Amino acid sequence: MNALLAVLWKDLLTEWRSRDRAVAMLLFSMLMVVIFHFSLPGGATTATRAYAPGLLWVAFVFSALLGLGRSFAIELENDAIERLARAPVDRGWVLLGKTLANLVILAFVQAITVCVFALVFEMDLTPIALELAGVVALGSLGLCSVGTFFAAVAVRTRFREVMLPLLALPFYTPVLIAASRATNSLFETGAVSFEPIQFLIVTDASYLIASFILSDFILDE
Amino acid sequence: MTAVIARNLEKRFGRTIGLDGIDLDIPTGSTTAILGPNGAGKSTLLRLIAGLARPSGGSLEVGGQPAHGRTARARVGFIGHATGLYPELTARENLIFAARLRGVGDATKRIETQLAEAGLTRAADRRTGEFSRGMAQRLSIAVGLIDDPEIVLLDEPFTGLDGMASNRLVERLKGLRRRNRTLVLVSHDVALAAQLADAAVVLRRGRIAHRESGDPLDPKILENAYSAASNLGVS
Repeated sequence: MNALLAVLWKDLLTEWRSRDRAVAMLLFSMLMVVIFHFSLPGGATTATRAYAPGLLWVAFVFSALLGLGRSFAIELENDAIERLARAPVDRGWVLLGKTLANLVILAFVQAITVCVFALVFEMDLTPIALELAGVVALGSLGLCSVGTFFAAVAVRTRFREVMLPLLALPFYTPVLIAASRATNSLFETGAVSFEPIQFLIVTDASYLIASFILSDFILDE
Repeated sequence: MTAVIARNLEKRFGRTIGLDGIDLDIPTGSTTAILGPNGAGKSTLLRLIAGLARPSGGSLEVGGQPAHGRTARARVGFIGHATGLYPELTARENLIFAARLRGVGDATKRIETQLAEAGLTRAADRRTGEFSRGMAQRLSIAVGLIDDPEIVLLDEPFTGLDGMASNRLVERLKGLRRRNRTLVLVSHDVALAAQLADAAVVLRRGRIAHRESGDPLDPKILENAYSAASNLGVS
């Protein structure tokens, strides 16, 4: 647990000082929102708002991949990854610390993205803000757990920028389907349907447990 | 007591053989130099002892435990080629992180001691990205020793250090030796290895080509063994 908190503290402090990941992710997701706004016929109409959950998650998933790719790349600088691998703890705690740090950074980007999205598509999301935050958090936990795991796998490969999406996207599919469905029901009815939430909880738990168990192998040379 | 025991240790990288049938006993409190030309397997052996990689064959125990396990990792400090530092963090923050990661109890006092011994007290709150190579290397050594490990692995630790810093490191290593710490030193510098170590192995193409022990070691014998392993033909 100490190792988890140490990695979380270190990753967030490093990001606070450099801001390289958050800024890149934010710019990317903003660009996507703007492109969606101008590419959809009729701008912010009721019909285009029906696409809103899918568009929102497309912006989330690609900005997440952008940030996750960097999360282990910073460990390669000066070979700091060796220190993580040599920590006298279950390596799963190290991976979990990085997963949580990625989740915090992604949450910051998502909060701003949702605000801009609501503004651009003229949607009042304040009545469902809490429920939306819950759905986004559950979906993002799935993205970050499996994404951090594959970022660690891809970081030592020659084509890590290409490898991460190739490895992660198939595992993202169930998370994205459930998260989009939950977001859609929230936008349409103002309430979250239980089925996709249940699916998200099970998927998140499976991904977290699997990455914790397998972490011992991925941090090896 | 034996700190490190390797039996028929092998490491392969695909079809390339890194280590081939290494048998090695490193007694507790000894200083062992691992010498050899580039590609001989020195760093590979050190990294296996550090638990950074798994053997392809044979066995390797550190303090009676498999080298790859977390119990063994807790006993070993590793100081490698690279500094392992985070440039966005200050020297003190790098030490805090290392201490937390390795579960050091009284971290504040230990961190201040390490900063003082590295001669970095005045630079403690500067980001390490601004450090010179020598300062970064000194801090890297302090980070490697943050939890006062029983076994200290050093992979070319003098790289990037000027004369004064090298002397300081030599004194530090001698201090560790006096405190019965086990040191394993990988180096190209035979004279320095002879000065510091009481045992030496010379590797050649993943095998032990020569073993030597004695306090002090005879630099001439070591030089000859090193030259033979390097195929230089020096008598």
